[in-house]
Amino acid sequence: MIRSYKAIQYTRNGLVYLVLTVFAFFMIFPFLYMLTTSFKEPKDTFRYPPRLLPRETLTTEMPGFDEPLPLYYGEVNGEQRELALVESNIRIGVFVDPANPGVELQLPLDNAEPKGGFTNTEQVVVNGEEVPVYLVTSEGQTQELALLSQTALGRFVDPNDPSVEILQNVRLSQPVEELTARPENYTDVIELQNMDRSLSNTILVTVLVVFGTLTTSVLGGYAFARLNFPGRNNLFVFYLGTIMIPFVVLVTPMYQLMVTIGWVDKVASLVIPWIFSAYGTFLMRQFFITIPKEIEEAALIDGANRLQILMRIFLPASTPALATLTTFTFLYAWNSFFWPLVVINTGNVDNHVLTLSLNVLRGRASDSPNLILAGAAIAILPPMIIYILGQRFFVESATSSGVKG
Amino acid sequence: MTTATVDPQKAPSSEDRAALWLRLATIWHAFLVVAGLAGAFIVWQGADTAVWQKAVFGVLLLGLAGVSGTAVFHINQRRSRGRNLSLAVNYLGFLFALVGSMHQLNMFVGLDSLADTFARGLPFLALIFVGLWLGSQTERFEGDLIRQQQVRQVGRAIAILAGIIFLFAVGLLDGLATVPSALLEGWETAVFLSATVFFGLMVWGMWQQPVADIFRATNADSEMLNGYLFLSPNLLGFLIFFAGPLILSLYVSFTDSDAFSTPNFIGLENYAEIFNLDLEPLASADQLASEVLDVTQYDELNRFTIFGQSYIIGAQDRLFWTALGNTLQFVLLAVPLSVIPALFLANLLNSKVPGMRFFRAIYFLPSVAAVVGIALVWQWLYNATIGYINYGITLVIDLFNTIGLPLTDPQIRWLSEGNTALLAVIIMAAWQWIGFNTVLFLAGLQNIPRALYEAATVDGATPRQQFWKVTLPLLGPTTFFVVTTTVIQAMQVFEQVFIIMGTNPAGPSNSTLTIVLYLYQKGFQRFEQGYASAIAWVLFLLIFAATLVQFQRQRTSGSSYES
Repeated sequence: MIRSYKAIQYTRNGLVYLVLTVFAFFMIFPFLYMLTTSFKEPKDTFRYPPRLLPRETLTTEMPGFDEPLPLYYGEVNGEQRELALVESNIRIGVFVDPANPGVELQLPLDNAEPKGGFTNTEQVVVNGEEVPVYLVTSEGQTQELALLSQTALGRFVDPNDPSVEILQNVRLSQPVEELTARPENYTDVIELQNMDRSLSNTILVTVLVVFGTLTTSVLGGYAFARLNFPGRNNLFVFYLGTIMIPFVVLVTPMYQLMVTIGWVDKVASLVIPWIFSAYGTFLMRQFFITIPKEIEEAALIDGANRLQILMRIFLPASTPALATLTTFTFLYAWNSFFWPLVVINTGNVDNHVLTLSLNVLRGRASDSPNLILAGAAIAILPPMIIYILGQRFFVESATSSGVKG
Repeated sequence: MTTATVDPQKAPSSEDRAALWLRLATIWHAFLVVAGLAGAFIVWQGADTAVWQKAVFGVLLLGLAGVSGTAVFHINQRRSRGRNLSLAVNYLGFLFALVGSMHQLNMFVGLDSLADTFARGLPFLALIFVGLWLGSQTERFEGDLIRQQQVRQVGRAIAILAGIIFLFAVGLLDGLATVPSALLEGWETAVFLSATVFFGLMVWGMWQQPVADIFRATNADSEMLNGYLFLSPNLLGFLIFFAGPLILSLYVSFTDSDAFSTPNFIGLENYAEIFNLDLEPLASADQLASEVLDVTQYDELNRFTIFGQSYIIGAQDRLFWTALGNTLQFVLLAVPLSVIPALFLANLLNSKVPGMRFFRAIYFLPSVAAVVGIALVWQWLYNATIGYINYGITLVIDLFNTIGLPLTDPQIRWLSEGNTALLAVIIMAAWQWIGFNTVLFLAGLQNIPRALYEAATVDGATPRQQFWKVTLPLLGPTTFFVVTTTVIQAMQVFEQVFIIMGTNPAGPSNSTLTIVLYLYQKGFQRFEQGYASAIAWVLFLLIFAATLVQFQRQRTSGSSYES
C-alpha cells in the first residue's frame, strides 16, 4: 500500500519535472540561439537545417594552390577519407558503351566531342531512348560512347597523397567541420555600430538614473512616512493615482519640454526627467512606515537631525526595499527604448544607448544574423549577468510589486 | 526670550546674530517684493513671449512678491509663520536659481561631454562599487568589532579613492575650468549665480536655531519644514516632468501642435477626426464604396450584412480603427497566452519538490532582457527559410508523417504575411511575459495557508476541486493584479512590433499597426503632435476603462482573502 503511494508520488514528481523542463527549454532556447549564433561564421548562419553550435569547414594547404582548400569526406576504395576540393564545377558526362549498356562511366565532357559535330550528332538507341554518341578520349584511347546525362562534379584529392583523386558531387558531399567560435563578430559589430560608445552611454545613463531615483525616492518616502506636514495625505494620494498613467500620454509634451529647454538629442534628456519616480517614493514610504518609531524618537532626543536619522537608522535597515528599487530602476533605464527613440536623433551616434544602436544595426546588418545577435547579446547579457548574481532581489522585487502593491 | 538666557555666555552673541539675520531678512524680502512686482511688469510688457510663458512667469513673480510681503509682515510680528514663509520663498528661490545657474553653465547639456570621457572612468566606477561591497562585508567578522571597523574603513577608503580618480579620469577638472569663462560670457549667469548665493545664505540664516528660538518655533514647525525640505526634490521633479506634462498633454490634444511652431487651439477637432465614422446602407453587398460614402472625407473601414440589408462603415481616420482593432486582438490573445500558462506553471512550482527555485529563476530570465534585443532574436527564429520555428514545425510534421498521419508542411512566412505577423508578435510577447506572471502567481500561491488545503483534503476534495474551489478564489487579488498589469502593458505594445517588423513596422497591409505605433508615426514621424496627444488620451481612457472593469469584477467576485 505504502509502496504504491510512493510510486504514484514519484511518477507525479517525474511528470512535474518533465513539464517544467520542457518549459524551461522554451524559455532558454532563444538566448542559447542568440549566444551560439553570435559566434558563428557568416556562411554558417544560413545553413538548413539550422544547427545550434557554430562550426567551420576545415581547410588545408596544398602545394600549387594559393588559397587554402576546403576538406570534404570522400570514399576511396571503400574507405572514408578527408579529401581536399581542388576543382569544382567540372562538367561530367555519364556515358555507356552502346554495346554494353549495363556499365556507366563518368568522364569529363572536356575530353569528349559529339560524333558528327554539334549540329548533326549521330544518335543511338540505349535502353529504348535515343541518345547522342560522343567520341571520348580517356587515357590515350578514344572510344565511341553514348551520353546519357550531364552533371557537374568536384575533383577531390587526398592532401597526403595527391595521386588519390575522385570525382563526386560537391553539394552532396559532407564537409569536414569542427566546432569553432568567431569572437570577431563582437569586435566587428562594435566597430560597425559604435557599440562600445552606446554601452558606456547606457552604463552612464543607468548609473545616474538609479542613483538619482534612489536619492529622491528615499528623501520623499521618508517625508511621506515620518514627517507631518499640511497636504501630506492629499499629495500621497495624488502620487499613487499617477502610477498607472501610461507614459505615452506624456511623451508629446515631454518632447516639447525638451525642445523648449534645449535637451533634444542630449544625454540629459535620458537622465534628469527619469530620476523622479512616484512608484519609487511609494515603495520607500511603504517600507519606512514599518520601521518602529521608538528608535527614531530616541535618536531625536540624543540631538540627531532628520538627515542623520535617515542615513544612520533608516537606510541601513531598508536594504530589501533599496535593492528592489535598484533592480527595477536598473532594468527600466537599461532597457528603455521608446523615449530614447523619440528624443535622440538617429544620426547622433555619440549619444545612442544600446537599444537605439540595435535599432539602427537591424537595418544596417540585415543579412548578418551573426552580427545582429552579437549586438543583441551585448545589450542583453549585462542585466542577465547581474540577474544571475542577484537573482533573489529581482524575483523578490517582482513579487513585492504585486502582492503588496 | 527667557529660553535664550539659559546659557549666559553664548546667548548674547548668538542672539545678536539672530537679530541681524532678521534685519537682513526684512531688507531682502522688501527687495524681493519690489523685484517681483517689477519683474512681473516687465514680463507682461514682453513682446516676443508666448501667452502661457507670460502667465507662468507672471504668476510666479507676483507670488514671490506676495509671499515675501506676507513674510515681512509676520517676521516683524515675530510669528513663526513669518520664518516658515521666508524659508519657503528663499528655498524655492535657491533651487530655481541653482537650476538656472546649472543650466547657464551648461551643466545639464554638459552630460554629453561626460559621455565622451565616461568610458575612461569605468574601471574606477567599478572600483567604487567594489569598495562599497567590501565595506558591507562586516557580518563575516561577527563579534569582532575592531575587525568590523577596519573592514568598513578599508572599504570606504577604496571607494573614496576610486571616486576621486574617477572624477579626474572623466575630466571633471577640465569641466570646472570652463566655469570662469562661462561667467564672463553673459550677465545672466552672474545674476543666477549671485541669486543662488543670496537665496542660499538667507535659507541658511533663517534655519539657524537662535533664529528659530526667536520665533518660538515648535517641533511641529520643524517637522513640517523638514517634511517639505525632504520631499522638495521629488515633488518639484514630479511637478515639472510629470504633472506639468500631464496637463500640457491634454492642452496639446486640443491644438494642431507640431512641437516647434506656435500651436492653434482647435478644440475637439482631433477627437472628432479620430471618432468620425459614417454608417451607410448599401444597395447590394458589393456596391462600390464611392457610391455611398463621401470619399473626400471617409475611407471604407468595414462592411457587414444583417437581416439581408448590407451596410458600410466609413471612417475619417481608417488607420486609427485598424490600429485599435489590432491592439485589441493583441490584448485578447497575448493576455490569456501569458497568464494561463503562468498560472499552470506557478501551480507546478508550488509543489514541495526540490529544484523549484532553479526553474523559477529560468522562467524569469526573459523579463530582464531588453525587448529590443529579444525582438531581434525572434526575428531570426521566425525566419521563413532558416528559422528554428519553421524547422521545429517541420520536425513535428515529419514525426506525424512517420506515424502515418499525412500532414503537409505549412512553411509559414511568419513576418511577411498579413494573417500571421500579429500572431508572431503575440507569441513572442507572451513568451517574454510568462515568467514574470509566474513569479507573481507563485508568490500569491505561497500566501494561501496550507491549513485550507488540509481541511479540503479531509473533506474529500480532489486536487481538481481544490484548484477550482480553494486556489483560484483565494488567488483573486493576485489574478486581478497580474491580469490588469498585463492588459495595461499589452495595450501599449510598441517596441516588439517596431523592432521585429523591420523597415515596415506597420506590417503587411497594416496588420501589425498598433495604437502606440500609430501614435509614434503621427507624433514623431509626421509631427502631428496635437493629434498624437489625442490618440494618447483615447488610449489612456481605454486602459482606464479596462482597469475599472477588472476592478469591478474582482470586487463583485467576492474573493477577499488577505494575508
